[in-house]
Order: sequence, then structure tokens, then C-alpha cells
Amino acid sequence: MQERANEMIKIFIDEKPVDAEEGTTVLKAAERAGIHIPHLCYHPAFPPEGSCRMCLVEIEGFPKLELSCSTVVKEEMKISTKSERVVEARKAVLEFLLAEHPLDCPICDKAGDCKLQDYYYEYGLFESQFKETKEKREKKLKIGKSLILDQERCILCTRCVRFLKEVTKTQDLGVFHRGVHSSVNIYEGTSVENNYSGNLAEICPVGAITDEDFRFQTRSWFLKEGESICPLCSRGCNILIEYHPGFSRFELPNRVYRIKARENPEVNGFWICDRGRYGYSYLDEGRADKIILNKIEGENVLTWENISEYLGEKINSMSSAKKTSGIALILHTWLSNEELFLLHKIFKKDLKVEKIFFADLPEGEADGFLLTSEPSPNRRGAQEIGFDIKAVDLSTLADGTDFLLAFGPFLSGLFSPKYLKGALSKIKRKVLFSSYSHELNSLFDVVIPVALIAEKEGSLTNVEGIVQGFQPALEPPGESLPEWKVLCDLGKELGMDSKFYSEFPSPETILSEMGEKIPFFKKKND
Amino acid sequence: MSPEFSEKTKKKIEEIVARYPQKEAAILPVLHITQQEFGSISAEEEKLVARILGIKPIRVRELVTFYTMFSRKSLGKYHIQVCSNLSCSLLGAGNFVDYLVEKLGIEPGETTPDKKFTLSTVECLGACERAPCMMINFNYYGDMNPKKVDEILDGLK
Repeated sequence: MQERANEMIKIFIDEKPVDAEEGTTVLKAAERAGIHIPHLCYHPAFPPEGSCRMCLVEIEGFPKLELSCSTVVKEEMKISTKSERVVEARKAVLEFLLAEHPLDCPICDKAGDCKLQDYYYEYGLFESQFKETKEKREKKLKIGKSLILDQERCILCTRCVRFLKEVTKTQDLGVFHRGVHSSVNIYEGTSVENNYSGNLAEICPVGAITDEDFRFQTRSWFLKEGESICPLCSRGCNILIEYHPGFSRFELPNRVYRIKARENPEVNGFWICDRGRYGYSYLDEGRADKIILNKIEGENVLTWENISEYLGEKINSMSSAKKTSGIALILHTWLSNEELFLLHKIFKKDLKVEKIFFADLPEGEADGFLLTSEPSPNRRGAQEIGFDIKAVDLSTLADGTDFLLAFGPFLSGLFSPKYLKGALSKIKRKVLFSSYSHELNSLFDVVIPVALIAEKEGSLTNVEGIVQGFQPALEPPGESLPEWKVLCDLGKELGMDSKFYSEFPSPETILSEMGEKIPFFKKKND
Repeated sequence: MSPEFSEKTKKKIEEIVARYPQKEAAILPVLHITQQEFGSISAEEEKLVARILGIKPIRVRELVTFYTMFSRKSLGKYHIQVCSNLSCSLLGAGNFVDYLVEKLGIEPGETTPDKKFTLSTVECLGACERAPCMMINFNYYGDMNPKKVDEILDGLK
């Protein structure tokens, strides 16, 4: 994806002088200068196709209108994107594209999100002259796990065909027949079955390929989007989370409706895998939103402030030798760099805790493209911070341990409930920080609900060592707190370096402190 | 049973494929041979061609459906293709097709029950100077009229 830095040349777009990279196209140069040229078939991931004709512009000295997606800029080129000829041509192109279009926008999932609809509103607004009967085609062709193809809505931009040819190299879709009879289709007995199929619904500029997972669930204009990072493997793909901000005339079971790819040439390009796209139920299903008190001595403690005070008191009353051998930690690698850094600082450096284990999901299989075999987002971060990632050994864990601080829900998947219960019953005090309400929670004295990556601020280190910051895209449910906040409070209670915890109250400041201590974390990509 | 090319045809295909830097580039000549050998190119033949050229059957389907000279249905011994474009239509191709429909008792796109004739209307054959024109298999016939077509068809066995 790295392009050679070319010389800059001067061109004029709509009489405005613009600097353009030599060798770039008119469309790219215009985008760079903040001038949008409408286009449907052009996608920055692929070479220009030039089939939709939407991006026509007028260039001085050229007798005909030219395709801005494939015309290369030349010194002193004078381009007009708004001249009368261009405006007329755009209208005509839209009229042709819509001549065979079913105009079923009211029942189309893409409505509100559709480039053809937007362009008609912006550049079309003609009266239809098409009096003939439209071609009848397949309207509900299942072409993949979660994909429905409507051939009538298709404008034959071939973005989907090119994606499957150039990105997944599976060539599952083709254009059959010609002229007015052309249509995109699969070969009988086959379907789009790769781990990146969901991208097709996203790159389709119209409602031709829709996603069964999203189809008829809501209308796109009810949704808001927030930027985040996919935590389902260690690639750290940049994503957009589309969620319902609250208002609706309908009963809503969930907040999150759709995950989309967010462009990042260094990490995921324009794509995300289907696991990340469709695996969003973890954001809403089975969430814990209240502090659970199963067994706790002394007065009634109801808020996190009381609990952190109580925990601080109990830990402070232990001798330093007891702190080292009597405290055990179970962590996981969904925690952010900042949180892992705080844990390392408080428990490993200051309290010299020996028993630190990691409970994560079992290793999966990489797919050779984006999906990695590590099913959590920050293993590399934990390693760079200085953790030795050891799997949980229950007998070592329980042996002579008075105090267990466990993070995450993954412990339950690693051991049988009976074995787990037996081992944990030997430990006097047990606190769990988890985002989920689960049977596991009953084995702990206190369970503090915590925020997920989509709901907090911080940074993650991906498999290649790229540190990426993230901001909250969603509100954490109920009483959930981000772990960095919990750890700052605990650090303060434990009385060590309390200045640090009052001076560094945000993930951003914690990360810059990390950069001072660990050079690896100096460079952060946003 | 899936179709196979005869040994002679296999040799011929090998020769054709060797002319191109990439195997896939030989697809059109190979499809012509396939059509000659099997009379039509159905899904089975598409898969055969795909296998020989090391490409996906969908790529073969794209071309077979794009070009009118390939047929997915089995054709009669004689394939009559009548031009339906501008020059031929102006000079009476429409009436000419009607005459053939009546004479052969089949609609365009159909084959006579004895599998002798298949009638098709096609796009420009590139012989406007001899409009209305038609092709029977690979031979051109121009300046057509009912009398002339009677003579031509009667001469075919």
C-alpha cells in the first residue's frame, strides 16, 4: 500500500489551484483537496474500473468529458467538476442507472445509507422518461452465509466481483450475460463462504447486496456510529460500531446493530473479517451492570468507593511477605496497555506479588489474512509491559493464598465448575472484575462490573506491535467502571506512590508515563 | 458422466494454449472447439474447460453467457442466425424472421424436433452492405428474401 512519494504538481480544480501528487488521478487529487467527485464503482482499494460513469469531469483541452477515477493529472490541468456539461452528464448517467432500478427504497435496507439515493437527491432530480417495462430479475438470492443479492437493485459497478477476485482471491461472483441482461451471480452449487464475505454488503454502493444479519432489523438513520477497535483477535482492526442511541418507536433488544470496517492502511486496510463483524453479541448479551455482594464482612458496602476502601484496608493489613505470597492475580489480555501497566506497577513492582496468571480464551486458528490465532487484543502489550503470560494453575493459585483479584470471565471456560469451586473455596477473599453475569460470579465475594473496550478509553498493542488508542464508542452499562479507573483507585488506597494516581488520572496521561518508563510505548498511532 | 475431449481435440487445445503467455488467454478458441465437439456448452462443459485452463468455472460462465456465438442449449445441425440490428431491420429482417418462423414452425431460440435447424435472432453480424443478412453455422448469406432462403434451406441435408 506504500506509494512512492512523488513530485507535486499544480492543477486547477474548479478554478482553485490545487497541489497534486504526480501520477495520481483527478479523483484522488480532488479528494485530497476536499472536493468530492461523485462515484459509485471506484473504490480506493482497487484499480479504477470506469463502469459507472458518475465521476465524469470536464478538462480543458479534452473534447469529451473524462473519467476522473482513471484520468491521471498533468501539470496545469484545468478541471471542472461543476460545469454545466458535467452537471448535465451526471444527471443523464443517473437517469440511465435508475432506468432499470426498482426504486424500492421504502423496503430497502440500504435506504439512508445508499450512494445512488444520495446522488439522485444531490445531482439527479430529473423527471423519469422511462416508460418501458423493467427487466425482471432475482430479488432475493442467497449468495453466502449472511448475504442476499438483489439483482434488480444492482448497478453493475462490480465492486463485489473485484473484491472477491483481488482481496479474497476466491472469485465467487461473476457478471453473466451482457447489455441490459447483465447480472451479478454465483455459480450454481457454490456460495461466498470466506471469512471476509461481510465486506461485500459494506462496499456495495447500493442495496444490491444486503446483510441478513442487519436486514430488516432497524433503519440506518436511527443508528449512530462510534469508532473503536475490534478486540476479537490480536490484529486490532479499526471498526465503527453502529448502535441505537436510545430513541425508537420499536422495542429494542440490543444496543449494537452493526459493525463496519474503519479504514486504516497500516492495520486492516479497508476490511474486517466476519468474526469481528458478526461477533458483536458480546457487547450486549449477558452483561453485568450491578455490583454483586455475595459475601463480605463488616458494614454494608454498596458503592465502588466503599469497596476499594475495604480492599485497600484488607491488603494494607497484610505483612509485606504475606502480600508477596498471599495475593494472587488472574488477568487477561483484553485489558488495555494502561490497565496492564497499572496492574504491573501496583502488584508486581510494588507489592511483589508472585502468583500472576492469565486466563484467556483458548488459541484459535489464523486465516492467513487479518484474523490472528490469538483471540484477545493485547497479548503483545502485556508482554511489552513485562508480564510473563502464564496459564492459570489452580493448585498453585490456591496454595497459601488469602486474597484473589480476578479479572475477566474467561476462567469459567478453562476448568470444570466443580474443580474451580473446590480450588477457589480455599481462598479467603476473592474479588472478580467482570463485564458479564455468569455462574462464575457466585464463587466470588464481590463482583465489580467493568467496561468493555468499546466503552472505555485506552490503547492496545496489536500483534505487529502497533499501539492504537481508542475512545469510548458506547456508554458502559449500569454501574460498570473502566478497569483503569478501578486500578487508579486501588493504587491510591494502597498508599504507594499515591501522587502518581492523583497526577495521572486518565489513560492518556498513563500512556505518556508508560512511554517514559518503557520506550516501546513512546509511539502511539491514532 | 462428465464429458471429456477426444484425444485429437486434446492435442489441438494443447497447441492453442501453448500460443499464449497465460493459459486463461486461450479461453475463446478453446470454447469454440468445445462448442464444435459437444454442440453446446452446458455446466459440465464449463467445468471441463475451467479444469483444462486452471480457472474457476464462473469465469467460463461469464464468457459463455456474454458471447452469443456460444450456446448453453444444444443446437440443431444447422444454426440459423438472423441479424436483427438497424440496417437489416430497415431492409425487412423482421418480415424475413417471420417467414422463417412460419417455414420452420419454430420461434427464435428454438430447435426443430428433428434437430436439424435452430433459429436465432442476433446482434449485428457486420455485413450491413448485404442486409438483411444471416449466418448458417459459419457461412454468411446476404440480400436475403423468401425465395433465396427456400433455395438455401432446401439445399441443406
